[in-house]
Amino acid sequence: MSIDVHSARPANPISLRRIFDSIQPMIAIAIPLLIWEAAGRMGWINTFLFPPPSQIAHTIWVQAGPNGHPPGAILMHVGRSLYRFLSGLALAIVIGTAVGIAIGMTRWGRLIFTPLISAIMPVPTLAWTPILLLLVGLDDRTTIIIVFIAASFEVIYTIVVGIEMMSVKVFWVARSMGASRQQIFWKVIIPGILPYLITGTRLGSGFAWRALIGAEMLAASSYGLGFMIYDASEYMSMDMIYGGIALVALLGYFIENVLIGRLEAATTSKWGVNVER
Amino acid sequence: MLNVSQMDIPLALREKNATPKITARNIRKSFGDVVAMDDISCTINDREFVAIIGPSGCGKSTFLYLIAGFEKPTSGVLTIDGREVVKPGPDRGVVFQEFVLFPWRTVLGNIILGLELQNVPRKEAEERARKWIRLTGLSGFEDAYPSTLSGGMKQRVAIARALTYDPEVLLLDEPFGALDVQTKNYMISDLQNLWTEANRTIVMITHSVSEAVLMADRVLVFSARPSRIIADVRIDMAHPRDARDPMLRQYQDEVTGILSAEVDKSMRLERNL
Repeated sequence: MSIDVHSARPANPISLRRIFDSIQPMIAIAIPLLIWEAAGRMGWINTFLFPPPSQIAHTIWVQAGPNGHPPGAILMHVGRSLYRFLSGLALAIVIGTAVGIAIGMTRWGRLIFTPLISAIMPVPTLAWTPILLLLVGLDDRTTIIIVFIAASFEVIYTIVVGIEMMSVKVFWVARSMGASRQQIFWKVIIPGILPYLITGTRLGSGFAWRALIGAEMLAASSYGLGFMIYDASEYMSMDMIYGGIALVALLGYFIENVLIGRLEAATTSKWGVNVER
Repeated sequence: MLNVSQMDIPLALREKNATPKITARNIRKSFGDVVAMDDISCTINDREFVAIIGPSGCGKSTFLYLIAGFEKPTSGVLTIDGREVVKPGPDRGVVFQEFVLFPWRTVLGNIILGLELQNVPRKEAEERARKWIRLTGLSGFEDAYPSTLSGGMKQRVAIARALTYDPEVLLLDEPFGALDVQTKNYMISDLQNLWTEANRTIVMITHSVSEAVLMADRVLVFSARPSRIIADVRIDMAHPRDARDPMLRQYQDEVTGILSAEVDKSMRLERNL
């Protein structure tokens, strides 16, 4: 932090440059928003269809507070979406890892799962929603399963790659130290695929987040950002729609690039493992 | 320096009370239609340092993997202390050219893994590792991750890792192959000292004649594929040896002569094919 304070001194052109570089992406987003805002205020655009960003922010702020409808509505929507997302992602990590290891390490795993996955992979995850609605009904389980399906393919794929990247000599070394099958699993395979699992989870989380929002539009009876956006369209509440989309974008970025991205960078630099993908 | 006295005894004397450690009888190994090894028989004595040399692709590494138990011979019997080798085990420590460290473990974590797998308490494991960390010159790097180490350091970790769980036989698969010349020379003299200290049976695969004659008691020369043992050269010189010793040069010429005749033969065969 102290470095940032120093670099803020205007006398140093190099750090000015650095500041510019770090806020540059924000400028690219801020300028269209400012134009939008100005156009709305000047009456150049239809503010019913395109409410200015300040109004959207205001609505979101109010809806997040005690005067929301219901009070704290935004927080409840976000919370519900995150709950479904994290539950589905956890399932994908556990089951995806198991399937990935089965494919990577065993012949039967390859024989059973590879054709299945190849067959299922091209199907857009949302296409499963009608089936799930009929099978499990209109509750959280449907959306959680959608998240699970959307995230697992990446998890499985990167884990299979991870195992293929492991040299047979790694197993030889472990066996020559007298490692049992169980020890090889917990002390060699699991840590060996961990960086791949993290990368797979990051990539899968992007797919899963997008699928979740879509699924919530189709299969949520109350709460969730997707539900909120869809519901707002019934009431023609444009600022809620735009606000919902903005929240989806922000949270999606945060999950994929900050939360899991940081974890990935930490393992990569510590272990010197680069997961090509 | 416990065993310096033993080193000073001339080789011929030591051999009198030598007991066979590794015995290979009529080993054949084929991969599909390719015969890698044809009828290899040899005996490696307890505490002997044997170097195996041969043209590239002759299956000398395969022979090491057979001793390690990673691969099984197609026919023939391979025994250690009279017991047939059926699988890898902690009585044989292996060091590969590519180090094969576990990147998610620190230097110390890599070195104590063998003891950890044998459920040795953490404290005792670290205590036992300490000695080899010191002897391999890794002190101060215990908490470093392999990705931050140079090739030479990584190979030291691999050697320390193999020695820490106290194997009776140390199997080295071209241990200096991935190192630059400077590092290699350091590592060779280090390994000579380590051998004195560790006092184990060592089998080393190499493609460098000078390495082989400098370090080993015996040099086995393998022929081109399908490989057989075409020479068993005893390097009758006390350890530690000086690389500039003229007698060493004679041994080197002898082994080089045998090896280059073999390489010529295999090249001629290849061209005629």
